[in-house]
Amino acid sequence: MKRSFLADNPSVMWVLGILGLFALGVTVLAEGFGLALLSTSMVKILGMTLCLCLIAVAMDVVWGYCGILSLGHFAFFGLGGYAIGMWLMYARTEGIVTGSLANAPIPPTQGEIDDAIAGQIFGVVGSDELPMIWAFAHSLPLQLLLVVLVPGLLALVFGWLAFRSRVTGVYLSILTQAMTLALSLYLFQNDTGLRGNNGLSGLQNIPGLLHLPQSTIALWFFWASAAALGLGYVFFAWLVSDRFGSVIRAIRDNEARVRFLGYHVESYKLLIFTLTAIVSGLAGALYYPQAGIINPAEVAPIASIYLAVWVAIGGRGRLYGAVIGAALVSLASSWFTGGGAPDIDLGFYTINWTDWWLVLLGGGFVAVTLFFPRGIGGLFDYLVRKP
Amino acid sequence: MTTLLEVSGVSVTFDGFRAINNLSIQIAEPELRAVIGPNGAGKTTFMDIVTGKTRPDEGRVIWGEQSRSLVGMSESAIARAGIGRKFQKPTVFEHQTVRENLTMALKNARGPLHVLFDRQSGADARIVELAGEIGLSDDLPRRAGELSHGQKQWLEIGMLLAQDPRLLLVDEPAAGMTPTERAHTTDILKRAAQTRAVVVIEHDMEFVRRLKCKVTVLHEGSVLAEGSIDHVTANKEVIDVYLGR
Repeated sequence: MKRSFLADNPSVMWVLGILGLFALGVTVLAEGFGLALLSTSMVKILGMTLCLCLIAVAMDVVWGYCGILSLGHFAFFGLGGYAIGMWLMYARTEGIVTGSLANAPIPPTQGEIDDAIAGQIFGVVGSDELPMIWAFAHSLPLQLLLVVLVPGLLALVFGWLAFRSRVTGVYLSILTQAMTLALSLYLFQNDTGLRGNNGLSGLQNIPGLLHLPQSTIALWFFWASAAALGLGYVFFAWLVSDRFGSVIRAIRDNEARVRFLGYHVESYKLLIFTLTAIVSGLAGALYYPQAGIINPAEVAPIASIYLAVWVAIGGRGRLYGAVIGAALVSLASSWFTGGGAPDIDLGFYTINWTDWWLVLLGGGFVAVTLFFPRGIGGLFDYLVRKP
Repeated sequence: MTTLLEVSGVSVTFDGFRAINNLSIQIAEPELRAVIGPNGAGKTTFMDIVTGKTRPDEGRVIWGEQSRSLVGMSESAIARAGIGRKFQKPTVFEHQTVRENLTMALKNARGPLHVLFDRQSGADARIVELAGEIGLSDDLPRRAGELSHGQKQWLEIGMLLAQDPRLLLVDEPAAGMTPTERAHTTDILKRAAQTRAVVVIEHDMEFVRRLKCKVTVLHEGSVLAEGSIDHVTANKEVIDVYLGR
């Protein structure tokens, strides 16, 4: 009677297969490897889109399966990006500084090197000292650890406080919005030590790989993003299957009843909230080296709201729905706002899509909520009739 | 017969309204007990107190051989200690199958990590046996939302039995059932009460009569009368408050 996990979840194999074919296709067409039909910037956009799909899958688990409408998951995404960005920026600046000081008549001391690095990074905010939080920035393994630990700990503490007080529904959503807003404002300050509104930049230059062309690096990050999405998808599909999946969906539908069955609801929510935050952080750590820059605006509340819109449009409570929603809407967004969509001349008024895209997205969101509550992913229900 | 649950001197006030007033009830194991009373007598609040949903202002709720106090314990800890509850409105998880509903209720470890890594918890034989007991053998793969009202009630009773509790608190199990369904429900409850304590809250006198058990009459948050159904229905005060003056 007990069947294997993959046999029970045919959609996992479908998603992995399509993802594999897509990665293969992009590789063959990419500038850095094959036919050069896809520009490097396009490869980067596709790689970044895969990272957005990954955070959307995490969002679907926390919202679509467990019923926690978090409007703050992009905070974790941004924290992952900042954590990796600090190493990227530090290590690259260190390379430049040691290179330029190498020809000095007197060999520089370590202190002089440190001062020069700090001056390079923080000159823009009028400081020449490395803040405390950069203590680990010289070490890739430590910053990678922070990619996991910072979002994980923030989610753990925030979730523990919120869930134990039994804050649910819209109140919890507001709290998560407040969290991401507070984080964004905190990062905007120069005193925080993360270069204020300048953010971290030049992240596309990977220290140690500077001899490689961007076209190759872009492809490597694209593969890494595809692998991360594949692994993340399988992990979450496994997580939401079987009795654990039953319990979290039951929490979504009636958490009081689950308590009377003897399950400690808060522990389940906390586990889901923290795990999805960690995966969001990892997705961010893969995203920002492709984007090249991260600044506090990235963790503004609106980003997390978009995330919820993607998942709603794609279809809640089905992981592939989140992938479809995130890919479709974010690619459409860059097409419309990037000047790809032709303006429509109505004679008396010209619809300029950079301005009108948000209206279109808002309209689409309302239409999906009203007429297709199951989202785009719900269309598959018509194709696959379950016996 | 030993005392399993002892509620003594419990009072609860909601916004000045005294829902439970110096209530004392003892439940033995095994025992079948019916709790009746007019609307607002505090029947459901009594269950809320025992299951940890509502905290009493004063009084004690003592459980089991070790005489543990249930006051202040979380709902889930009380459920794990062995108290199962069935709600007035059937509350099953409608988006999940009958099998999934029963599997969740089965007596197994409840910790999130344990549940996550324990992939063989299906315990199929027990699920099939339970489904037979509640007359849902053919409905295991169906969504609970597709069941009829009576079937949902049974599924919820099945989930209670799956928890294997020492005390079952059952709120109006026969509400909205056809006469045949009622007879079946009576059988299930009577059978369950052979090995454990079962407390049934009911409005319907006929149903209570058929349970043939000790009856506690609540009124304005405290016990008005206790004894056999014939004894309490002969009580003058009970006739006054319950059967209408």
